[in-house]
This record gives sequence, structure tokens and C-alpha cells, in this order.
Amino acid sequence: MNNAMSIIFASDNESKLNELTLHRTTASLPFGGRYRCIDFALSNLVNSSVTTIGIITRNNYSSLMDHIRMGRDWDLNRKNSGIAVFPPYASNTSTNVFKGKIEALYGILDYIENSDDEYVIITNSNIIASIDFDDVYEAHVASGADVTMLTYTAKPTTSKRVLVEKTASGRINGMKITQTADDNAVEIGLFCYLFKRTQLIKLISDSYERGKIDLEKDILQANLDKLKIYAYKVKGHAALVDDIKSYYRESMAILDTDIRNSLFYSAGKVFTKVKDSVPTRYCEGASVVNSLIADGCKINGKVENSILFRGVIVEEGAVIRNSIVMEGGRIMQGSKLNYAITDKDVRVTQDKSLSGSDNYPVVVVKNKIV
Amino acid sequence: MYTNKKECVAMLLAGGQGTRLYSLTRDLAKPAVSFGGKYRIIDFPLSNCINSNIDTIGVLTQYKPFDLNQYIGNGQPWDLDRLNGGVFVLPPYMKGETSDWYKGTANAIYQNIEFVDKFSPEYVLVLSGDHIYKMDYSQMLAYHKEKKADCTIAVINVSIEEASRFGIMNTNDDNSVYEFEEKPKKPKSTNASMGIYIFNWSKLRKYLIDDENDKNSSNDFGKNIIPNMLKDGQKLFAYNFSGYWKDVGTISSLWEANMDVLSEDSGINLDDSAWKIYARNTAEPPHCAGKDAVIKNSLITEGCVIKGKVINSVISTGVEICEGAVVEDCNIMPGAKICKGASVKYAIVGNEAVVGENAKVGDTQEGMVDGQWQITVVGPRAKVAAGAVVPVKAMVD
Repeated sequence: MNNAMSIIFASDNESKLNELTLHRTTASLPFGGRYRCIDFALSNLVNSSVTTIGIITRNNYSSLMDHIRMGRDWDLNRKNSGIAVFPPYASNTSTNVFKGKIEALYGILDYIENSDDEYVIITNSNIIASIDFDDVYEAHVASGADVTMLTYTAKPTTSKRVLVEKTASGRINGMKITQTADDNAVEIGLFCYLFKRTQLIKLISDSYERGKIDLEKDILQANLDKLKIYAYKVKGHAALVDDIKSYYRESMAILDTDIRNSLFYSAGKVFTKVKDSVPTRYCEGASVVNSLIADGCKINGKVENSILFRGVIVEEGAVIRNSIVMEGGRIMQGSKLNYAITDKDVRVTQDKSLSGSDNYPVVVVKNKIV
Repeated sequence: MYTNKKECVAMLLAGGQGTRLYSLTRDLAKPAVSFGGKYRIIDFPLSNCINSNIDTIGVLTQYKPFDLNQYIGNGQPWDLDRLNGGVFVLPPYMKGETSDWYKGTANAIYQNIEFVDKFSPEYVLVLSGDHIYKMDYSQMLAYHKEKKADCTIAVINVSIEEASRFGIMNTNDDNSVYEFEEKPKKPKSTNASMGIYIFNWSKLRKYLIDDENDKNSSNDFGKNIIPNMLKDGQKLFAYNFSGYWKDVGTISSLWEANMDVLSEDSGINLDDSAWKIYARNTAEPPHCAGKDAVIKNSLITEGCVIKGKVINSVISTGVEICEGAVVEDCNIMPGAKICKGASVKYAIVGNEAVVGENAKVGDTQEGMVDGQWQITVVGPRAKVAAGAVVPVKAMVD
């Protein structure tokens, strides 16, 4: 879809990711062994020929800047188009950064106005899915929609969710914004939308001037009768990562072959920052089953049902089960992890034991020595 | 001050066909052959150059250049996409009335004199794309300057038995070369030429032109340029190199070099943050070890799915090893698939080859010594039928 630009929100709902986003945006949260969450959005866009991409940041965005740099790893270091990272917008009259998506978009209205693309894709950066925007565009045109809202089927959680009701033709005629968990899976918005650019500019300007904040509530839900909003259900696996529980669950989901194939092999490749790590070395004491292992690791212990990011060292006699060890982690001799998430460059010293549970994995913050 | 001038330009000879690698070089030049899981042979000289602060490299290609050209691209993976300098692929080209293939190593540089002149270098570093090694060329250049040499040749100490397989530099006490012998029957020394030369460009330029005018010359550095310079009393020095260095021009040496990467004390440590070897990245997900996987003493690269047993092997990007398959002492190249129940031992399996279910490729070897390994080869994109037996040292195309 070479007639669209995109705006990605680097931070949203991040408060619930707690320790994992102490030093970073949701966008730069490590995911899946070698990626950052935003890699999925960026790769989906690039694979669909969308190459003008603005990223709106809010706070702690240095890790994101370091990850994205000039966008070369996504082939986005273009002469025309390419990546633009926007530091948090604060208006002349306020000392705080933007309060919601409407204000944030208003802050970069110039950028959106200067484009000559016909459409704008607005998306969060915490969506783990393989999305073909060419297909979204076809559906958008076929339905005659003003706005297409991407959806998936899942159980509502205690994070903000937009539950949709729609007519037989797919037009959304009911929206419920909730933070109540429910065991029944329903159709939920993915916080990813296709707008006509000129219409988006008008909606943002009008809403901002009337002091509106929330894109979902004040622009979409409030205008269900005036705007033709159609749902597009994402094909294959899709997930939102916005709390520790969902982070853990969705990470472990990739151990499933079908989900892995859906994410990495169904549409296009998922690109990320190149680090030139060596292949992973398995030593004599290695015993690794049902795990995902990135390059640059050195394994001499036991690893089961786990995800190791790049450059993790598992020493002799160490046992890692049901855990996620981020880049540069070192699990020393005889130590044991079970249901643990260790952030970047964590060292677990000899014979220590960390154990959480399926619902509450224990999290060790970046650079800590246990 | 900004200037086009470069102190030293590297010329990398990458045109060799590599006939002794048989089907592995059927569709691509030897420097483009996969190595060590995620690398190609040419990554070593290219990475050595950038790590040695040499940022202007001409790559001389001739035989089956497409893979190599595509792989090098604009040189970005090696940080060689430069405003001034960078990496240049130099195939033979038309020159007025005449045009020639590269007739020999010296002729290849001769035909690109204009290219080198554009950077007005003092020195030219001549490299080949056939070796696995990590070397700081800037130290060799410093040595060349210190000795005020006209030509410096990197040499490595080999055993006296091996010496008759190499070009041998016989030197005086100050390391100046008084004689060069190509594959001597009775070697006088064990200083083997590594095929790495630094020349003063003005001098080399003259010798290349003279050599071209000599109709009897075979236009080769080892056979013509070096002997001619010696004959004329030019100052040639040997530069002793003592690290890991291996010619990977044969099936068994290529296999051995891959096994050396597995061994932590072979000297070719790839996991060296001070001397990274760069490669073009393929954007594959992390590799997956399945529920019944057994992996010991091996290197596994991103994009692999390992469900069987892997022992003492180098497994490259995107390889699939299915349930019940056994891979021992092998180098499996990118994208190959080893199907259920197959057994592959002491073998090189080429890019995207498929070893069918329950097939048996190669076998274990006992009592062999280096250089005599009986390695079985499944060529790139070859298919070994289900249940087939490929005997030791056989080659499947």
C-alpha cells in the first residue's frame, strides 16, 4: 500500500509493564529472543510498502532511538520518506507532555499535513502480529469505510480494551471501552487504524480544539453514527502486550510452532537491529528442549520451555525452566530459574534460585546482580 | 582535511573458481561459499580490512559473480558504504578495442590500475578470498613502513612436511627475502606465503606494466611479480604471522576449518568483540530446539529448527533437522533440510540441499588424521532420496 504513511505510538498503557518499562518505552521492550516490540509494527509496514513512518515518543525514549537509529535495519533510511522520531510534544501553554493520543497527533499535525499520501495508519507499538496492510487496504476500499479498525479475538484483561459489536457487513455499531477481565473471548480492537489522511487531520483538529483527549473514546466511540468504522479481523496470530502477565504469556506462545510460523513466515520477514552476533555455541553440558535461542549464546546447562535472547551465557549445571532471559544475561553455575523474566544484562550468581509462577513470573530488573 | 587520497587500498582477488570444492562452487565463486554457520569466506578478509582501518577495497570477480556481487552489495554490513572509498566489485571490462578476462592474479590488478590510481595510494594490499583468518593488516603495514620495504609478504610457519605444498620464502636474519620457491621439493625453510602482499604502489604499478609486456609471463604474483622484484634487488620482507590461518580450498580443509570453529582452542575465536567478523544478515527468528532435541558441542544459527540430534556440527542459518535425524561431525549449509530418521556423518551438506527420510550420508571415521578426512558431500540444492545410502567420500550433485 504505497499511498499510506504511518504514525506509531511508542508508549501506551506502559504503566502496567512495571519493571520491564522502567528504562524504556513499550516499543523498545525486548520480545521473542531478538526483537523489540516495535519491530513487528515496523516490519509489517515495510513489508506492505509503507515507508513514511513517524514514531511518537513520550518518555524514556533513548533505548528506542538507539534501536531505530536511522531505520536502516528496516530499509527505512530512504531519501524520500523513511523514519521520523518525535520527542514528546508539549504545547507552549503547558509544562506537561501530551495527555493523550489526540494531543500527541495534534502536536505533529504539520508532519501529517506535509505528506501527500492518501491514508494514515495509526498504530500502537505493542501489537505482536503479522499484518498485511495491502489486505487491510483492499478491505477498506471494498467496505467503503471512513475508518478501518483492526481487531482480533481475545479475552478482555484488566488493561484498556475496546470491545466491538458490528453489523453483518462488518460496520462497527457498538464499542465498549473497559478494563474488566472476562473469560469469554470476544472481538477486540488492536489499537491500529486506517484513516483517510485529510479526514484524520480534521478529526484531530476539531477534537483537540474541544479539549478531547482519548482517540478511542472521543473520536471513534463518540462518532459511531457519523463515521463509517469497519472492523478488519487480523489473520493468523495476534496479541497485545501490555502487562507482565501478557508479556510472559505472549512470549511463551511463540514456542508453539503454528504461532511462530504465523508471526515469522506467513507474510514477510520480521526485521530488527543487526548485532553481528556469532552462532550460538552448545557445549558438552548443554541440554536444551522446547526453547527459542537467539545467536551469540553459550550454553553449558539445562534449558527447558524458555527463551534466551542474544548473548546469554548458561553455565555448567545451571537450570532454566519456563523463563525468559534477555540479552547479555549470565546464569552462573548451579543457579536455577523457574518462571522468571530477567531483563538485560542480569547476572544470577552461583547456586541462586529464582522461582515465580505461571501467573506471576518473578522479574529481575536490568543490570541487577542476584 | 578532506581528500580523495587513501594511504592504502586493498585489492581482493575473488575470481577463483575453486574447482577443488567441486559442486560447492558449481554456482558461485569460492569466496561466496558459506562458512561457520552465518558467514561466507569473503567475510574474513572484508572484516579484517575494516577492523584494520582499510576502507577502500576492490573485489576482483570473474567466475560466477552473481551471488558474490549480491552478497557484497553496497558493503553496508561491513561498514563499507562510504562517501569516499568503500567496497567496489571489479569484473573484467571492455577497454577500447580490446578486452580480456583476468589472465592471472597480477593481470587482474593490472587491468584495474586506473581504479587504484583514483585513490593515489602509497600502498596496495593484495588479498585473496580463500582463507579463514583474523589479521590486523595495519600492523603489517607498519612493519612494511618500518622496514622501508618495496614489498612485504605475510608468511606463516608450517611444518617441514607441509612446506612443499606452499610457496616458501627463504629469508636472511633481518627477515629480508633472498629467494622465493614455489612448492619446493626440498624446502630450505618453513615460511609459507599466505598470499597477502603489501606493495609500494608506484613500484607495483611499474612491475605490473612490465609483466604485461612480457608475452611469456603467466601474469601471476607468485610466479612472476615476486621473482622479478627479487631478481632486480628490490627490498622484499617477510612478515611473520602466528595466528590461525587456513586455506579452505578443498573439501576436507573446508570441513576441518568448520570443525576448528567448534573447538575453543583452535585459535579462530569468532566470538571476539575486539575483532568482529561481519556478515550480511538474513533476518531470521531465533533458532528453535524442539521437544526431543539433543544438541552437544555444536554451533546453531538463527532460523534453524532442531528436532533431532546434533553432535559436533556447525549448523547454518535456517536449517531444519527433523525428528529422529542424527547429524554428527558435519557442516550443514544455509537452508538445508535433514528429514526424519536420516543419518548424516562426516559430511558437508550444501545450501538448500535435502537429505530424505531415513537416508544415510557418510559415516563415522576412526584413526584419520588432519588432511585425510573422507568427507561426504551433498551439493547445493541436491536431493538425497528417502532411504538412499551415500557412501563415504561420495559426492551427490
